[in-house]
Amino acid sequence: MTHSFKLITAILILAPMSFFNNALAHHAFAAEFDKEKPVRLIGTVTEMKWANPHAWIYVDVENSDGEVVNWAFETRAANSLIRIGWRPADLPAGTVLEIQGWQARNDSPTASLSAATLPGGRKLFSGTPD
Amino acid sequence: MLPHLLILLVLVAGPASGQTLPRTADGKPDLQGIWRPVNRASYDLEDHVARYDMPAGVSVVDGGKIPYQPWASEQQLRNFENRSSEDPLRNCFLPGVPRIMAMESPFHIFQTTNHIAITFEWQQVFRLIYTNGSPPLYAGIESWMGNSRGHWEGDVLVVEVIDQNDKTWLDAAGNFHSEEIFVTERYQLLDTDTIEYEATIDDPKVFTRPWTIKLELQRQTHMDGILEYQCQAEKEEANGDFERDENTWYPASVPVDNEPFDADASEGLPLPTTPAEIPRLSDGTPNISGFFMADAGGANYGLEKHDGDTLLPPSRGQVVDPVDGMLPYQVWARAERVDRELPHRGYDDPTAHCFVAGIPRSHYVPAPFFMIQPPGYILILYERMSWRRIALDDHSRPPDTMRLWQGHSIGRWEEDTLVVESQNFNGKSWLNETGDVVSHMQAVVETFTPVSESQIIYRATVSDPIPYTRPWTIEMPFNRENQELLEVACLEDNGDLQHLKDVRDEYRSRQIDEE
Repeated sequence: MTHSFKLITAILILAPMSFFNNALAHHAFAAEFDKEKPVRLIGTVTEMKWANPHAWIYVDVENSDGEVVNWAFETRAANSLIRIGWRPADLPAGTVLEIQGWQARNDSPTASLSAATLPGGRKLFSGTPD
Repeated sequence: MLPHLLILLVLVAGPASGQTLPRTADGKPDLQGIWRPVNRASYDLEDHVARYDMPAGVSVVDGGKIPYQPWASEQQLRNFENRSSEDPLRNCFLPGVPRIMAMESPFHIFQTTNHIAITFEWQQVFRLIYTNGSPPLYAGIESWMGNSRGHWEGDVLVVEVIDQNDKTWLDAAGNFHSEEIFVTERYQLLDTDTIEYEATIDDPKVFTRPWTIKLELQRQTHMDGILEYQCQAEKEEANGDFERDENTWYPASVPVDNEPFDADASEGLPLPTTPAEIPRLSDGTPNISGFFMADAGGANYGLEKHDGDTLLPPSRGQVVDPVDGMLPYQVWARAERVDRELPHRGYDDPTAHCFVAGIPRSHYVPAPFFMIQPPGYILILYERMSWRRIALDDHSRPPDTMRLWQGHSIGRWEEDTLVVESQNFNGKSWLNETGDVVSHMQAVVETFTPVSESQIIYRATVSDPIPYTRPWTIEMPFNRENQELLEVACLEDNGDLQHLKDVRDEYRSRQIDEE
């Protein structure tokens, strides 16, 4: 792992975040996640779990103490990603993502994904993979 | 009475002639009905002696033994030893094919020219088998139940099942397969009440050659319909993870401050108009078969209009009666609704546990659904994993003590509108994730009115004197899409539930500390 990761939560740049494209929920997001705990991280994808009711992106992020923490970002149902043309091969491990969301109320390194940006500025899961 | 007439005709002709099987209008053997296997294959496909929880049985495998590769034979023995914890059904997971066909619960086959649907009690899973020659839209997407395509070879229905994952077993004895499994099923009606079922399993990663099981399925003539077995819900109720709601669950008592219910207060809105030129079946009935998605406008986040918040999507409001758009709550129930929106109550929403969504929520949960119109029924298959059988001819009701997540539905066509009346609910559902309330007293009258080739206007009038002061009605369009259902095996990865439980438990321990 030679990438340098930065945890940017402390900066708290509250760019407008859109939750609603993630809204195919099977549970209350406001109950699980805390809108007072926005997170914005840069990290490397270790795995994307293509599951229902929600797919998860696991990302290695280095914190300010130099520790690498594996964050879990919850996103839409695998089915809704499949329907807009995404397939498991489209987000391989090793991809670097800038990722935003809200952290879980139980303070685990878990968050609801609001936006993720690929190198080059393309938004993840907006539209089709091409 | 038509099915009985058909049976009589076959008896008169004599099943031995082989020429007078019951047939559908398009001439195919009529498989529609309730069936059940008559063997012990669900315990072990091979010969087996009796054990605790496992009655003895003889092999249903052609040739007696499953032709495992040596490594796989050893794996099967380990699976057998660990079956009490490792069998996927212990976790209420979906059984896969062919295991689901050999389980002891009855299943209901529905048949049209283009589709055969099989509905099961286990987790209310279903199989939708396309018989119209169309290729799978999502080939390559693995699932627990796979993707089934069928065709007729003479009088035999042949179904090919692809894209099953490697997580299911073939029986309770640890017989297993890999993700390379390819199953070819053959359904042959031997007489009115018997199907000879064969499944050939080809999996070069695990076996030395393809092999075949053969089962006899018997028609369950004494049954009107199958019931529900929500395995995970029963498990969580038994172990205390899903707690009884005294106000809503059957047989809840009416809260003390309940006001008299005005059952006549509904506005009785006029129905939309159906154009004559919409697609119709041969008898003139509107053709409402196919894939639909509700334009629900955020109904799953509240049926009353509200603006969105950071983590709560907005709702445009679906209540059309009363005209103010507000649900006519009893005082106690409005307070309960407000409470349910607090973070520590998120855990109590049944769909957060992956339980079935109930009616009308199954239509806007949000997930698509697929409707078919076999003789005598409307069948709705919900992608968020449940089915609903609406009987058009049989208007008998189950006893009051029979309580179901999806209720019991009977339907009729009133001109071009399908009217469905449902009752016998268990009162365990929430109407959405913010907790709009229903109880076991819920009675629902739904109307499905086609207004174009591609749209149905849906209304649901809910009468429930426990939480409400009068009946109310919601409305939303269902839009037809050129799509296929996928599978939602919700239990496979529901990590959210633990987080929601943490929030609830933390709240409860804080309450105890404050006392």
